[in-house]
Amino acid sequence: MDVLEAMDDLRLRTLAHMQRPLDRLIYLASTRDYNTGLYYHDGLAARFGEEAACEALAECHNEAMRELVTSSLEGLVGQMEGYMESARTRPTDFLGMWRGLEPYRVAVPVGTDPLAAGFLFSNFRVALAILDARRNVRPGLEPDASPRR
Amino acid sequence: MIQLVFFLALGLGFLGMLIFIMRRGRATPEGGAVALIEARGALDTLQGSLMPPELIGRIFEQQDLEYIEASTPAEVREFFLRERSQIALLWIRQVRTQLVSLRRFYTGRSRYYAQISAGTELSLGLNFLVLLSACRLLEVLVYVRGPFAAPRIVGATITRTAKICDFSAEKLEFLRPENPSEINRDRAGNEAI
Repeated sequence: MDVLEAMDDLRLRTLAHMQRPLDRLIYLASTRDYNTGLYYHDGLAARFGEEAACEALAECHNEAMRELVTSSLEGLVGQMEGYMESARTRPTDFLGMWRGLEPYRVAVPVGTDPLAAGFLFSNFRVALAILDARRNVRPGLEPDASPRR
Repeated sequence: MIQLVFFLALGLGFLGMLIFIMRRGRATPEGGAVALIEARGALDTLQGSLMPPELIGRIFEQQDLEYIEASTPAEVREFFLRERSQIALLWIRQVRTQLVSLRRFYTGRSRYYAQISAGTELSLGLNFLVLLSACRLLEVLVYVRGPFAAPRIVGATITRTAKICDFSAEKLEFLRPENPSEINRDRAGNEAI
């Protein structure tokens, strides 16, 4: 029961401000300790207890993953474009880093089915190629015009 | 000469049948737990990871291809087709592996645990044969013509696999107790005896 309440609270107070499943996936992945695989959120833990908070975060993480896997390629490209703009990084740097480091690989929940994960990673690679191609055919858009963080 | 060919063919047929019966006879109930767990695992993987319609639909539906064709240059299209082919091949191979695992259970151990008539066993054998052949054919088609080449075969494979999964789920239901407390109660009862 606590877990469900914690999930509602998390959705209402935090995730509601993130419209894109990609943003939610990355945010929720960032609340996970990579050594233990456990999720931490001080505010949620203070209200519902550490265990319930952890389970709520994990469940919402899985939810974001499912949403992203079922997004169309067009939808994913749109989400990445929006995420790139909100990151306030130069698009060339962003695309280069995402292609080189593949940060999306560590953003998926533990225990994700390999086929679903493989499918999502593949879509990320294609989306990056599309964004890259768009930048190359539209040089007039000043790729490096956005301020650097 | 014709008679010789006829008897040779007959002899070969008998030999084939003998080998088949000998192979069937080798299965014993001992060590069956591993086979049961393997079969249950294969079934869970097929039903849980490989058959969800939303994921399979996303892999094979043409919506992404239409988007790519309308808005990206040729090299991106080629890259997309390569990527999607790899995912499609991964799916086909995983389905095939799990089907082989499930078939192993039926050909080797099922008669000790599941009440299956000879007719059902034959029909299952045919279904497995058709499905495994369809997987091979799909593999070739995807490899040669891309991931969107054979939507009908994909659909038929999913439907037939789902039927085998439903049948197997029924036969292996005893491995998934609905109420674990019943097991504990049984165990307590056995200990009391």
